[in-house]
Amino acid sequence: MKQTGLIFFPAFDWAISPTHPEREERLLYTRDQLFEEGVMDLPQIREYKSGLATHKDIARVHFCVPNVEAQITEAHLVSAGSALVIADAVMNQEIKNGFALVRPPGHHAMTVAHGNRGFCNINNEAIMVEYLRKQYGLRKIAIVDTDVHHGDGTQEIFWHDPDILFISFHQDGRTLYPGSGFTDELGGPQAYGTTINIPLPPNTNDAGIHYVLDHLVMPLLEEFEPELIVNSAGQDNHYSDPLANMAFSAQGYAVLNQKLAPDIAVLEGGYSVETALPYVNLGIIMAMAGIDYSNLREPDYSAARLAKKSVSQDYFDQIIKTQMANFRGREAKIQDYRRRFPDDYAYSQQIYYDTDGISEQQMVRLQMCGDCPGYRTIQSSARHSGWENYEVFCISVPMYSCPKCQEEGQRIYDEMIGKPGPFDYIYLQDRAHDVYRSMNTGRKVETVL
Amino acid sequence: MLIGIDVGGTFTDGVLLTGTKVAATVKRPTDNTDLKGTIMEVLDRLMAGQDSSRVTRVVLSTTLVTNMLATGNLPATALLLLPGPGLPLEVYQLFPNTFFLPGSIDFRGRVTEPVVPAEVESAADQIAARGIEKVAIAAKFSNRNSELERQVRDIINRRHPNLEVVLGSDIAGQLNFRRRLVTAYFSVMTQAVWERFIGEIAFALASRGIRAEVDILKADGGTMPLEVSGQRPCETVFSGPAASTMGAVALASNPRNSVIIDIGGTTSDISLLIDGEPLYASKGAKIQGHYTHIKAFSVCSLPLGGDSPLSVGDGEVRIGKTRLGEAACFGGLAPTVTDAFNQLYGLQIGDPGLSRQAVTVLADQAGMEAGVLCSRVENLVIAQLQQAITDMFREWEEEPAYRVWEVIHGRKFDFHEIVGIGAASAAIVPALARSMQVECTIPDFAAVANALGACVARPTLTVKVHIDTQNGYWVTDQEGRGGKVKTGTKMQMEEALNLARRNLKELALDRHMQDYADEAEFFLQEQFNVIRGWSTSGKIFDVGVQIAPGLIKDYQGVKR
Ligand SMILES: [Zn+2]
Ligand SMILES: [Zn+2]
Repeated sequence: MKQTGLIFFPAFDWAISPTHPEREERLLYTRDQLFEEGVMDLPQIREYKSGLATHKDIARVHFCVPNVEAQITEAHLVSAGSALVIADAVMNQEIKNGFALVRPPGHHAMTVAHGNRGFCNINNEAIMVEYLRKQYGLRKIAIVDTDVHHGDGTQEIFWHDPDILFISFHQDGRTLYPGSGFTDELGGPQAYGTTINIPLPPNTNDAGIHYVLDHLVMPLLEEFEPELIVNSAGQDNHYSDPLANMAFSAQGYAVLNQKLAPDIAVLEGGYSVETALPYVNLGIIMAMAGIDYSNLREPDYSAARLAKKSVSQDYFDQIIKTQMANFRGREAKIQDYRRRFPDDYAYSQQIYYDTDGISEQQMVRLQMCGDCPGYRTIQSSARHSGWENYEVFCISVPMYSCPKCQEEGQRIYDEMIGKPGPFDYIYLQDRAHDVYRSMNTGRKVETVL
Repeated sequence: MLIGIDVGGTFTDGVLLTGTKVAATVKRPTDNTDLKGTIMEVLDRLMAGQDSSRVTRVVLSTTLVTNMLATGNLPATALLLLPGPGLPLEVYQLFPNTFFLPGSIDFRGRVTEPVVPAEVESAADQIAARGIEKVAIAAKFSNRNSELERQVRDIINRRHPNLEVVLGSDIAGQLNFRRRLVTAYFSVMTQAVWERFIGEIAFALASRGIRAEVDILKADGGTMPLEVSGQRPCETVFSGPAASTMGAVALASNPRNSVIIDIGGTTSDISLLIDGEPLYASKGAKIQGHYTHIKAFSVCSLPLGGDSPLSVGDGEVRIGKTRLGEAACFGGLAPTVTDAFNQLYGLQIGDPGLSRQAVTVLADQAGMEAGVLCSRVENLVIAQLQQAITDMFREWEEEPAYRVWEVIHGRKFDFHEIVGIGAASAAIVPALARSMQVECTIPDFAAVANALGACVARPTLTVKVHIDTQNGYWVTDQEGRGGKVKTGTKMQMEEALNLARRNLKELALDRHMQDYADEAEFFLQEQFNVIRGWSTSGKIFDVGVQIAPGLIKDYQGVKR
């Protein structure tokens, strides 16, 4: 019998600030519950020690401004590193699946990192996905974001990647942070239809989420045929979460994980530290390990009370129909984009970092390559919380890019660093060669990871 | 005058220490059907010609409970469990006569579901009807609130006063319900036999005019007074390896990061000293395949010793696991591991000529040079031991950590010496140390290190205190001790430490180990602010304090 891997990293000595939801106490009662249950002693469970991600692992995904050191604490290295330990153990077939029950979380962190957004600095799942590709040659991976908040960071990072199916279900962005994740957010012109958002009305309960899972998420996964499924496992859909308004239970989470059967789950949000987390975490572990979870319930659980919180069936049926159609029509839509934008595709966007109060302006230009997903460049400017203003230029070359795009990316970088310009830093993220360059233009110092 | 006796599976060792002098050592075969007889025989031999009134301390390391649990000849025992919600009940269905009852507590010690007296009574009636006399009661999170366990006990006491009852919260108050129920179950099961045994020992000693303090060695390398041990029989399991490790600590001069190998006739026990402190098994002692809350040294046992017999087949040398007899150099019939090392390094153990003869005969059978055969044996032995040692290091280094600081700083076991004890260590350990490029220490009296370890081990006591100022209470992991604290956020760590220290002192007094209470050290200091809304509404402290394993104050080392 293969075991389920578990890394429990509560970061008992790390907090964003003393009274912040992302504080030392967050996984304290989860610790109590897991340890009192003797979960680590179960023959179905194999506990692993946390690991450390390298700066290179982070640079494979993020353009940290001005550098990796500035955007992370040691806790982030451990949190992301733990996901990598689980990934290695799954890939080496030491375990059948694994759960990185770690903090700090990551799913609101985007490609360019100027600061903390939604309690996140770096994106643990994205770092793990790019690591899996580089280390094990995986290509098609599905990430299902089950946090109550839209996984906008993960969405942005894989927006142009047709080999990553990103599905996020969350409380409707009109009623909750970060205010995005609507059904018309479907991915970039070369990766249309592999970003699928499922906004849910407040008060959606177990039955509602399971309906969407059965009739939309699972069929999408079946058709996409990913090599690996990742659960970006937030726990704030729980009925007791203080930051959201959903009606999901610990049992509901367990059922979800049993159906979804993720290869790897990585903890995201969830801030009902006493009423939800100990039970939801236990539920996820039990479901992944194939342990009967029928005896799992919160002390204040009331099936009748939650059943009352129902949402119109029509809403679910409509969204299922729309998103299945969007997914199935993706090839045609991509062809259409390629016809309309034969050379490149450019857009600008503004990104707000709520935790740090930073406003970032971006100009993105995507190479509409016919042979690969295309390299892209990002011009980004932001005033950091210390009032330094940064103007940076980033070039991102995908892992599975064509030689031409790889050469182009390198050429642009060489050209940019050779001439004077407005940029404080110029970055080249060459995933194909696994080389990450950054040029401090003022001091003419290049760092290579 | 100090006496240490270590009962092993095959032999029982005893040592009599007067000041820094080992006045007598005794080794006798163990009669597993009469441990008291064996102990008294060893004691009498040690005391031959001595004045029994001068004995100040007797320490026993016995296998009584270990044997009892291993042979399975055990009294029927019932388990009453209050598991509440969580893992499926089958996870806790480890033993026959297990009853599940309603009633539950959460991690903050809140009762979330009451005891149902009628169900307790019905279970108690069934237990009585089955003729069972021993009952262990364990509730999930009873370490945070023992109220439900006590309610169940009171109901049982009223209805069937003759039942012998043990509570999980009294015996095993750390987090981990599974280990708690296992520990409580085996405790109540072995308690009566153990109490009878210590009664007999006390009587036998008194009848010999020995009025000294009598202590029992525990698996954690410390001692407890005989009378205190009555309530905690399971803590005596696996005291043998603890005796050896403490013996190595006593004999090696100031060991820091060391590997201790006790090589006997057919087994090698490896333990680690990290910064001078023995390493504990991270999940507690294992009994009948179940983890318990009994603190025990992390010991790796290999079926490999000085008497392990050598054989050849298909041109390969093999080392057998079953002892056939003594090494040839001591008059045994077949060559053993000791003979190979004796011959290879000219060690002058026993009669070296007999070693040479025996290995040569075997080498001829295999068609190889005697030297080649001995080298191959050495390689096999060293490889096995080295592998076991590196596995232990890795396991320790890879133990999960829950703080950023611990993960960032990592763990690396940098050891500088191997301490060899046990009868066969002198033959094997020097070669092992050379191969691992570290120093080798084979202290004098290495052959009776186990008995000496028992003799000079000091008492140990560990207390963990959990304080919850939001809910206004504190609890310890010992004997269900607890009380109230002022609610609110005022309490500081200093006060929490004092509370823990006070508990340790009181327990030390109860257990006659107050002489060492001042040497207690804190090993756990955690503080969490309980935030509700955006403000602090209380604090949670977890503090651990212990009298760690060590040597008694009177011990000044031994001289030849
Ligand atoms: Zn969230
Ligand atoms: Zn291309």
